[in-house]
Amino acid sequence: MGRLARILATLGLLATFVLLALPTSPALAQLRTVELYAPRGFGHVIGDTLTLSADIALDAPFVLDPASLPPPRALNYWLDLHEVRLEDHGVSEGVHRYTLDLVYQTFYAPLEPRRLTIPAVALFAIEGERRVPVQVPAWSFLMSPLREIVATGPGPAMQLRPDIAPPLLPTAGLLRGLALALGVALLALLLLAWQMGWGPFGRRRARPFARAARAIPLTLATAPGDPILAASRYAHALQALHRAFDATDGKGVFAEDLPGFFERHAAFRAAEAEVRRLFAASRRAFFGADPAGAQRELPPDELVALARRLRAVERGTA
Amino acid sequence: MRTRRLALTATFALLVASLAAAIWLGARLFVVERDNGLIASLAAGHDLAISAEDPPALLFARLHFLTTRDRLDEAQPLLNRLAAGEDKRLAVAALYDMANARLRVAFSHLESNRIDPAIPLVRLAKDNYRRALVLDPGFWDGKYNLDIAMRLVRDFPQIDLEGEELPPDAVKKLWTDLPGLPRGLP
Repeated sequence: MGRLARILATLGLLATFVLLALPTSPALAQLRTVELYAPRGFGHVIGDTLTLSADIALDAPFVLDPASLPPPRALNYWLDLHEVRLEDHGVSEGVHRYTLDLVYQTFYAPLEPRRLTIPAVALFAIEGERRVPVQVPAWSFLMSPLREIVATGPGPAMQLRPDIAPPLLPTAGLLRGLALALGVALLALLLLAWQMGWGPFGRRRARPFARAARAIPLTLATAPGDPILAASRYAHALQALHRAFDATDGKGVFAEDLPGFFERHAAFRAAEAEVRRLFAASRRAFFGADPAGAQRELPPDELVALARRLRAVERGTA
Repeated sequence: MRTRRLALTATFALLVASLAAAIWLGARLFVVERDNGLIASLAAGHDLAISAEDPPALLFARLHFLTTRDRLDEAQPLLNRLAAGEDKRLAVAALYDMANARLRVAFSHLESNRIDPAIPLVRLAKDNYRRALVLDPGFWDGKYNLDIAMRLVRDFPQIDLEGEELPPDAVKKLWTDLPGLPRGLP
């Protein structure tokens, strides 16, 4: 009955004809039942399709002869057999079950509601040499007219429904695809620029003074009262700042190179005095072996301040 | 360094692939926009030559142009192509528009009381409507116009009502218009 429920659900109002072929004659002994499930029997109009569904049960060794299925064709001037579908459910408890769907299309143009009949379909069940007829019963239904006999509506009596205007080809999908492809291309380009350090990404990466300003306070953070360790850290901090100068100029910058450096990087002129003090302190620390004097020349606090100042100059916000 | 290189290669491949896709889609869009321009100009009443390679939508636009101007003989090859084509929607529309055009021509014959040329036109229109309904059974405009065509043929008592087969005497009558066989010299 699950099948019946499914048909009820799909067809809505449904009239079910159940025809039980009783095993009255020996020839029909092998045929258990043919049950016909049909759509509603009324309210069909010209061009409608009607799906008749027959559940066929045969005794086990018998099978439905596929050659006896009707081919889809025009049955008469108003009825077409559109499609024939046979579903084999296999054998269970000695009964071979099939579902046969017959899709008809009617082209009758009635003037008033009229009863028409879809003819019975004769099939055969075979087992070796034996052939037993199986009959899918006829089914009748009411067809309804679409129009009144004498036109009473406004306008001409035989007003055709309008033509179908030529549709334009759809472009929305292509436009969406194009926008998506361009968006992905742009993202890939940005990603590539970031990976390669092009354009704004390049400038962002090459900010040696920013790196130095970040590193120097960490380098100088030292416990008080250990002058040797403090001196070595101070020297490291100085080196970090010098490396930033080297990176900015692309080569090593020494005290005697400073005029050239300020010529090439004019923005740093704003901090020229402090930079000169830095180089003087470095000279003392590295070449004069006078770390204490160097720290007097440029105390660690001022070194940090100078690094920040230079970072601001580099950023262009000084 | 290896992963960096791999990431770089992947990004580059993505860039190339998306650019290729964008170029292809752009080219397709260009072609579709051109076809839409042709469809629009056909709809505006400018006749254009159409080749068989053109997309079905363009063929249908030209068929519509021809059927609305009663140039049915020129429209028939286009209808054959569309009815056999992949696009079911366009096949239905082409069959329907052609049938409508035939029915309109039949109406104009009937208005001036020329019944004989009207009958084959109505029959062909009915056949086209039927083929359209076979493809799309839920096509209500097609059902309505087929109903009109069916009743139109029924209005001629000398034709059998709506049967597609001719009665035996009509079959005999078919040959009465043939010229007589030459009987030789006197």
